[in-house]
Amino acid sequence: MKRYGLSLLPLGLGVALAALWQAGLWANPILYLRADLGTLLLLLGLLGSMSWGLGLALWALADRRREQALTRSRQEQADSHRRFIRRLDHELKNPLTAIRVGLANLADRGDGPTLTSVRAQVDRLARLSTDLRKLADLEAQPVEREPVDPGELLTQLLELVQERPEATIRHLRLSLPRAPWPLPPVAGDRDLLFLALHNLVDNALKFSRPDDTIEIRAFEDGSSVVIEVADTGPGIDGDELPHLGEELYRGSRASSVEGSGLGLALVQAIVARHQGTVAIRSRLGQGTVVALRLPVIR
Amino acid sequence: MMARGQGMDDHKRHQRVLLVDDEEAITALLAPFLERAGFAVAVATDGEAALRRVDDFNPDLIVLDVLMPRLNGREALRRLRRAENWTPVILLTRVGSPAERAMALEEGADDYLNKPFEPYELIARIRAVLRRAQRGGQPLAGARRLRSGTLELDRQARRATLTGRELPLTAKAFSVLEYLMLHPDEVLGRERLLDAVWGWDYPAATRAVDTRIAELRRTLNDDAESPRFIETVIGQGYRFIAPVEVGR
Repeated sequence: MKRYGLSLLPLGLGVALAALWQAGLWANPILYLRADLGTLLLLLGLLGSMSWGLGLALWALADRRREQALTRSRQEQADSHRRFIRRLDHELKNPLTAIRVGLANLADRGDGPTLTSVRAQVDRLARLSTDLRKLADLEAQPVEREPVDPGELLTQLLELVQERPEATIRHLRLSLPRAPWPLPPVAGDRDLLFLALHNLVDNALKFSRPDDTIEIRAFEDGSSVVIEVADTGPGIDGDELPHLGEELYRGSRASSVEGSGLGLALVQAIVARHQGTVAIRSRLGQGTVVALRLPVIR
Repeated sequence: MMARGQGMDDHKRHQRVLLVDDEEAITALLAPFLERAGFAVAVATDGEAALRRVDDFNPDLIVLDVLMPRLNGREALRRLRRAENWTPVILLTRVGSPAERAMALEEGADDYLNKPFEPYELIARIRAVLRRAQRGGQPLAGARRLRSGTLELDRQARRATLTGRELPLTAKAFSVLEYLMLHPDEVLGRERLLDAVWGWDYPAATRAVDTRIAELRRTLNDDAESPRFIETVIGQGYRFIAPVEVGR
């Protein structure tokens, strides 16, 4: 709105000056300006271009301001969310500690099965609150930036998951480029990246069925390394896709599968700390592919 | 059932634990729990009260909560150490960033435990710290340098040397070695090491610990089959088996 107001400024100035001279304070001579049509058109064109350019510059400036305000408010939102999670975690710790000690005190008095199941639930609560806080911490802490070889990382990951019983009844494959050159290193915290990739493969194993195929593949794309974990599992509903990275979000099909609802949120937090991106594509009945894009060390 | 210790040792007194926490729900439940485990327990509800109780109760060990009104645990610990009092202290922390934990150890805590802890874990830690303290010598926790045979660790400079030669260790491997040496002869689970050094303990990441241990063994030239320093305890974790003392 202010922008349009400003455009009236020259007009206002003109009116004011006209009023001054019309009032007769000074002589108000009549000027005859003569110009040929060519010059006049040239001047008009120049004037037009100048005002157009000025308009565009003002517009861009306002755009940038708006974007900055948006980023700031998003940042503030994220910060306040983090603070909330820390406070929640903090407030839960003392009661959870007291409950655990209380349960240990009860342990001598019998009813083992009940105690065991209550203890399991307390553990679950404690784990949840700790995991939420760690996630919030991760978004704020600096991460290590050492060269990490993605090929070696994925090979080690495959070794680890192949030991799992679910993996033996699915077709698990890893494909890495060797020609014309192997994958370049990315900068980051090896253990965190391992954790992120492990979560993706873990999801693929959990949400697919026996005999499904899971492919882990990586390739270089411009100045990034792209790592994809793809499965021929049941797929995810399009409506649910945007919510997958949210904390504690569990897809409608996930309720039968054990999990905290924090796995993908953790992946996104880790990848974001490495200046990377996560993209998910999925088709119901066909499967899902999650792609991590991480910048290569220059 | 309780055939522990030196058999007929009649005048062997119960070891005294001073429990300091402002949360009554915790002290009221934890004190009897520790008593049943064989300790004599006194309770204080803030740092100032704790410092007063140290003089008249004369505890063998203090379990100290960090966040308390009036005088918090960290400051109480600092004052205790400034007064040259080396009673072993286990800090109960709530905000567990790795930097914060490292600080806890540097300020002279003998160990720390994150809330909400498993009460049996607390007992195991208390016993481990008391065992270390009984062996005598200056406590390791506040020491700037640690030494085990020809292996020396400068905790401030973050450097390790073996027979005078500097070891090329990554920052993580150094921290793992430091934590192992601060808890000699104690079996340390992978998850505990992850929690202490990495700051998170997702089970999927326990391999990260094995990787660093392998790095340490390589640089220390330590054979996993017949180790001089780091022993693998199958199904449980790792243990630093060589004696550790405060270095000059």
